[in-house]
Amino acid sequence: MKFRVWLAVVAGILPLALIAIVAFLAIYSWPAMHFNGIGFIGRDTWNLGNLYANPVMFHGTLIPRGATYGILFLIVGTLLSTAIAVAIALPMGVGAAIFLAEVVPDALRTWISFFVELLMAIPSVVFGLWGYVVVIPFLGKHVYPVIAHSVGRVVPFFGEPSGSGYGLLTAGIVLSLMIVPIIAATLRDALVNQPSSLREAALGLGATRFEALWKVMLPGTRKTLIGATFLALGRALGETMAVLMVSGNALNVLPHRIYDPISTMAAFIVSQLDSALQDPTGLAVRSLAEIALVLAIISIVVNALARLLLMMWNNSQRSVMV
Amino acid sequence: MMVGHAAQAEERLLETGSTLLYPLFNLWVPAYSKTHPGVQITTEATGSGTGISEAASGIAQIGASDAYMSSFMVRAHPGILNIPVSISSQMVNYNLPGLNGVHLHLSGPVLAAIYTGKIRYWNAAAIARLNPDVRLPHQPIVPIHRTDGSGDTFIFSQYLSFTSPAWNNAVGYGTTISWPPVESGVGAEGNPGMVDACKGTPYSIAYIGISYRKYTAAAGLGEAELQNRAGRFLLPTPRTIQAAVNALAPHTPANERTSLILAPGADSYPIINYEYAIVNAHQPDQATAQALRQFLTWVLSPRGGNSLRFTRQVGFVPLPPAIVRLSEAQLAKIH
Repeated sequence: MKFRVWLAVVAGILPLALIAIVAFLAIYSWPAMHFNGIGFIGRDTWNLGNLYANPVMFHGTLIPRGATYGILFLIVGTLLSTAIAVAIALPMGVGAAIFLAEVVPDALRTWISFFVELLMAIPSVVFGLWGYVVVIPFLGKHVYPVIAHSVGRVVPFFGEPSGSGYGLLTAGIVLSLMIVPIIAATLRDALVNQPSSLREAALGLGATRFEALWKVMLPGTRKTLIGATFLALGRALGETMAVLMVSGNALNVLPHRIYDPISTMAAFIVSQLDSALQDPTGLAVRSLAEIALVLAIISIVVNALARLLLMMWNNSQRSVMV
Repeated sequence: MMVGHAAQAEERLLETGSTLLYPLFNLWVPAYSKTHPGVQITTEATGSGTGISEAASGIAQIGASDAYMSSFMVRAHPGILNIPVSISSQMVNYNLPGLNGVHLHLSGPVLAAIYTGKIRYWNAAAIARLNPDVRLPHQPIVPIHRTDGSGDTFIFSQYLSFTSPAWNNAVGYGTTISWPPVESGVGAEGNPGMVDACKGTPYSIAYIGISYRKYTAAAGLGEAELQNRAGRFLLPTPRTIQAAVNALAPHTPANERTSLILAPGADSYPIINYEYAIVNAHQPDQATAQALRQFLTWVLSPRGGNSLRFTRQVGFVPLPPAIVRLSEAQLAKIH
């Protein structure tokens, strides 16, 4: 009985922690929400105002003169870099999983899988440093100008100038390498764990090896793939360090080309905290907390959407079977 | 004597804040600890904003800051002192392939126009006018700015504000400012990030703390001669920095919260600043207050921390005697 109580306490702490964090953010950022209004997520200007002039009263809140807090450019930067990361990581992860599950000889498979999983254990700052030292100069000098000169002639979003290497596409590429192993490792496990009778039945019906894989084995792992993708999406949304180092940290400007500098919500909170602390009214720090709240809400919504998608899928499959 | 020291309870002081001052504190503290074994001083590089906030709240005894506190903030924290401990300055660097050996002439209004995107090419008329003998390339300028909160941004934007009314109205100054969107502009983290970004980006321009001159020189970056109040173009050298200090020292008020940007005088370099120790005059107990006073007195002493032996290593300049006296008067308020 006592053990059960302990289990209940331990299990209860987790949801309580989530509620406590969101509640803290909401309460702490309340004065900022009150001042910023809904325009917070629609405006493109983050301006701490004149911290050396006397603050002014605005609807009962003391604010630095000229302060405006708007984070549309951060939301766009976060969502675009995440979208690029997933767009690159999904085919790579699925390919790697199929390769590991179906093609590689057993003796090698363990080793390669081990390395793919090791990739997950690398701290993100290592990815960031590598992006900073290796990826940015390489892409900026050799790859982006070529893309801008070829694809860019047709699609303006890829057009010139190809920039310095810091920016949206680089952030997306570095992020994609961080999330590929999540997709690859999870999907590989699911493929390996499919009953082998499925494949045998397909092959027995005259399917080729490719058809057995594509039409029988892969569809069975669809749920796992969606789950893994959203897990990866969550990681990319909240990634801070690596993005901070390669994104170019744009302020108040939306990317017009895929090479343009961006900034993300998580990276912005880190880079702006020290300046925000110099705001004597405290509104800047509270507005940073409001960014954290928006980021938390986006992450929760993304996860909830994933659950919903899976549930709808389950229902439709059941109705087909009936 | 030795027995007395050993019996004394060890005093602990925490210094936190400016990353620009951090290397200097790290030279000071070991030297001071050797002769004063009764005090243990911990140093942290967290950023000026954190330094001010933790000194005000009492978490740290010394908050290191590149910028002085605003009048409103001082009123909000009665008893907080802004004590200059050294003098720093700033370079404007660029990466112009083939021209990095040439010291380009640049002025505040021209830099303001570059950082607002009004001047977009290196061979723009406004730049060419200041450099009639230089063949400037027709290449887009990449202005690099700090994205983290920074004392370097504070003094750079103050130089632009004091020289360009347009900049002053539209942007102003601060440790983080709302940079006007310039399409080719890049943000970088910290002074090391500025050096790297400038080195890696041809035709870029950046503002970098003087203590990083070793690195800008190693990276082969160009260094601009900046226009001072008298209209002359100067490099930051010990002589031009000292000239600026001497010109403004008599105008420093008793609370020492003042800008040193755009000092008068033909030989004064325009971008220099006091580096501050932010200290709460009311310490929780006598022992802490005494240890704090003692350490900062040593820091200000020309035979202690305020000697060329230390400041030269980070490119700073010692405080002139008049300022040391003002700082000492502030120290006396700590109790």
